[in-house]
Amino acid sequence: MDAKHDVLVIGAGCAGMRAAIEAFDAGADVAIISKIHPVRSHSGAAEGGINAALGNASEDDPEKHAFDTVKGSDYLGDQDAIEILCDEAPDDVYQLENWGAVFSRTDDGKIAQRPFGAAGEPRTAYAADITGHVLLQVLYEQLMKRDILVYDEWFAWKLVVDEDRCQGVIAWDLMNGGLKTVGAKTVILATGGAGRLYVGTTNAYACTGDGMTMALRAGVALKDMEMMQFHPTTLSPTGVLITEGCRGEGAYLLNSEGDRFLKRYAPNAMELASRDVISRAEQTEIDEGRGVDGSVLLDLRHLGAEKIIERLHGTRELAMTFALIDPIHDPIPVRPGAHYHMGGVDTDVWGKTSLEGLYAAGEVACVSVHGANRLGGNALMETITFGKRAGRHAAEWALANTTVTVPEGAVSDAERELRELLDRDEGERPWRIRDELATTMHENFGVFRREEQMQRQGEIVSRLRERYERVVVEDKGNVFNSDLTQALELGFLLELAECMVVSGLARKESRGAHARPYDYPERDDDNYMRHTLVTWEDGRPQLDWRDVTMTKWQPQERKY
Amino acid sequence: MPSEPTAAAASTNGALSPTMDVAVKIWRVDPETGERALKTYEVEAPEWVTLLDVLDIIKDRVDGTLAYRKSCRMMICGSCGMRMDGAAVLACKTRMADIVAAGHVPVISPMGNLPIVKDLVVDMGPFWSKMRAMKPWLQPGYEEPPEGKEYHVSQERMNVIHKEALCINCGCCVSECNSMESDPDFLGPAALAKGMRFVGDARDGADVERLEEYNSEHGIWDCTRCYFCNERCPKGVDPRDAIAKLGAESIKHGIDRDMGAKHAKWFVKSAETTGWLRETELVPKTQGVVSSIMQIKFAMGLARRGKVPPPFPPHVAADVKEARALRDIVQQQGREGALGHVQGERALSYIEHHTTAGNRHAPEITPGEEPVNRDVGERP
Repeated sequence: MDAKHDVLVIGAGCAGMRAAIEAFDAGADVAIISKIHPVRSHSGAAEGGINAALGNASEDDPEKHAFDTVKGSDYLGDQDAIEILCDEAPDDVYQLENWGAVFSRTDDGKIAQRPFGAAGEPRTAYAADITGHVLLQVLYEQLMKRDILVYDEWFAWKLVVDEDRCQGVIAWDLMNGGLKTVGAKTVILATGGAGRLYVGTTNAYACTGDGMTMALRAGVALKDMEMMQFHPTTLSPTGVLITEGCRGEGAYLLNSEGDRFLKRYAPNAMELASRDVISRAEQTEIDEGRGVDGSVLLDLRHLGAEKIIERLHGTRELAMTFALIDPIHDPIPVRPGAHYHMGGVDTDVWGKTSLEGLYAAGEVACVSVHGANRLGGNALMETITFGKRAGRHAAEWALANTTVTVPEGAVSDAERELRELLDRDEGERPWRIRDELATTMHENFGVFRREEQMQRQGEIVSRLRERYERVVVEDKGNVFNSDLTQALELGFLLELAECMVVSGLARKESRGAHARPYDYPERDDDNYMRHTLVTWEDGRPQLDWRDVTMTKWQPQERKY
Repeated sequence: MPSEPTAAAASTNGALSPTMDVAVKIWRVDPETGERALKTYEVEAPEWVTLLDVLDIIKDRVDGTLAYRKSCRMMICGSCGMRMDGAAVLACKTRMADIVAAGHVPVISPMGNLPIVKDLVVDMGPFWSKMRAMKPWLQPGYEEPPEGKEYHVSQERMNVIHKEALCINCGCCVSECNSMESDPDFLGPAALAKGMRFVGDARDGADVERLEEYNSEHGIWDCTRCYFCNERCPKGVDPRDAIAKLGAESIKHGIDRDMGAKHAKWFVKSAETTGWLRETELVPKTQGVVSSIMQIKFAMGLARRGKVPPPFPPHVAADVKEARALRDIVQQQGREGALGHVQGERALSYIEHHTTAGNRHAPEITPGEEPVNRDVGERP
């Protein structure tokens, strides 16, 4: 064992850093492992804001926030978890502000809040259009203040499980090479999402579902994996995110006829309907020939130059750099793109998984507060509130338990597996498999889903997994071998794709992000107000179900 | 060269984007031996690709051992700082179409002022150490946030640190910092911009302690004001402006022991008394009497060649009243310290520059420099 800690956090985005800070403040010896430096984490790309019922822009309260979230989830969110999120959100946001987060301000100097999709009140606290960046910075500042140890650029690869307890992590040290073992009484997964399963995603290259697959391989269930959110405004052609904040500030979505087409899909909320609704509307427009080169248009022009520069500066910069369009003068071409995984590692409301000592928080986890569709602004809030809760619980448990053992076999098995991969000289380079996975997932498991396409995708993924067995890493060196880590990332993605297909086929209804207009166009509460749960047994995904937790909201028809 | 389209090239509705042939030269550095070689790569790529996309294609199809950092590919994570033709850029922000059209083959090398690890990867350790040396976390003042909620701060007051808060820690400014090249311990533009982010924050109560520290050796007055940091920053942070604001704040708080501060103060004094810079007094005011006496011989030499105007009688500028009026306005408006700082031209041109985003010309062509590698092999 190279090191030992009470609490080890894997991943250093908002959830990971918030968890580490909480565990540290609870008195635990805590360290973070991250394959990229903390401020490089993809939380920083969150633009629009963070939802909390502060009531700075209107009368608001946590119960309204909870109802919007329950409805937004298409009644697949667990209502006890949603109530916790919405109740704790305001104080958690105040704390971020007190730590120094540079929020935008109201006229009376309070945290500014803007309207966001499917929210009944202007509830999204923001820092211009760089909210995630600002939060990531403030959390890293607090990390430095506490001098919390970060194993920076260590690639976590395997969880160490001994005596039915998670007791550490085996990681590849990118800078120096070699496998390192870090023992821990509790491990918190905070590795984010898996958007790299898709071509045309908003997600960073780092978002390869590492934590989800590590948990799956350790015997933990993944929940609601079919629920991948497609964000309605991703920039053509690269897929980078154009914030929902644009629509929050009043931008229009237009088709090729210059028509605000949402009047036919969400006549009341229009551009501020929920993301699944708008993505389907856009895809329908595009499929029916009213798109513009495979996109629709996001029009900001009527907002005026001043507002665009002040509140949507980053968006303008993205549009100008990647699409050569200045939104002050021209509309931005956008289309739905894979953005956020509502599904993930099955946890309770303290981030605990079914494996003793293993926790998960943030996008990697599925508590579930987002159900079948996440509301914009709720992801950052989840990272903070559930990062905090996981950090606290993991620290308390670690401080009450003493031993950590890493069995010799775990390390030598990992060494052998790695050596086998590095020694292989004949075979296929990973990029073809990666690209085929991403294009076929987009085609066959996208905004709209058909039975036969999902089945075909299942076959495609199994063939890709067979090809992956013979994948070749060209770089055999020890120093910054990203060829190796990228190959391992592809391994993570392939297993997740298989879990998604199995879950998607099983859910024979349309709910939130899982839309089956051709065979099961309606939501079926009698049979499917249940979470899918996938575990990995004998190299195959196994499916199970669990009822949604309800507290006070009965399912209603969902209209915007 | 492989002719299959990349998944990136196949747009998601199935149509293929037009492609182009891209050539780049990359300084490869072997991490074990420190040996380096300039290699040329040619690949086919969609017309919209950035430098980062090109590196990806090379790594996938030509040479899997190529090393560089990347993550968000949308100018927010700060991973992919590197040099193109000797000047720092974010690879993900650098579109290739115009460069290809100009027939230019750019030279890609790692960032400067940081030890090279492998190929385009540098050791960011010194960067983060300097960042941490700024004690970059809010140290609340006496004021408690009302009702246990947020501090009440006007947007106007927050705007003071808006640009500094944009920093993504990519290191492009540090790469091009001339001061750091001669003094590797200079805190540097990124760390000092972070310092200004707290000094300028109305909620922070440790201004004076911070300024005292930033005024020490290797601090703000070591900046040579070459403005390369402002020039190369991909996010418009304008670190040099942040350093200037720290200087102004220091003087406002009476922290003026450094020669740099004394120098600056004399400029102001000189301008408001005679409206003219009085060089003969500048040296004693900045460096002190003893140092000035030691430089008399040099000064006489300058005077003989007509480089120093005679000190007496003092030359008073015709429009000195304007200079004084300006000083009065600054004082009346309470714009001493950072608030009196006039935003640099770079900041204004930033908005201007981008309105022609589509028509940017290829960067000026300069031969690629061989990367300087201070301490290969000394990495911990």
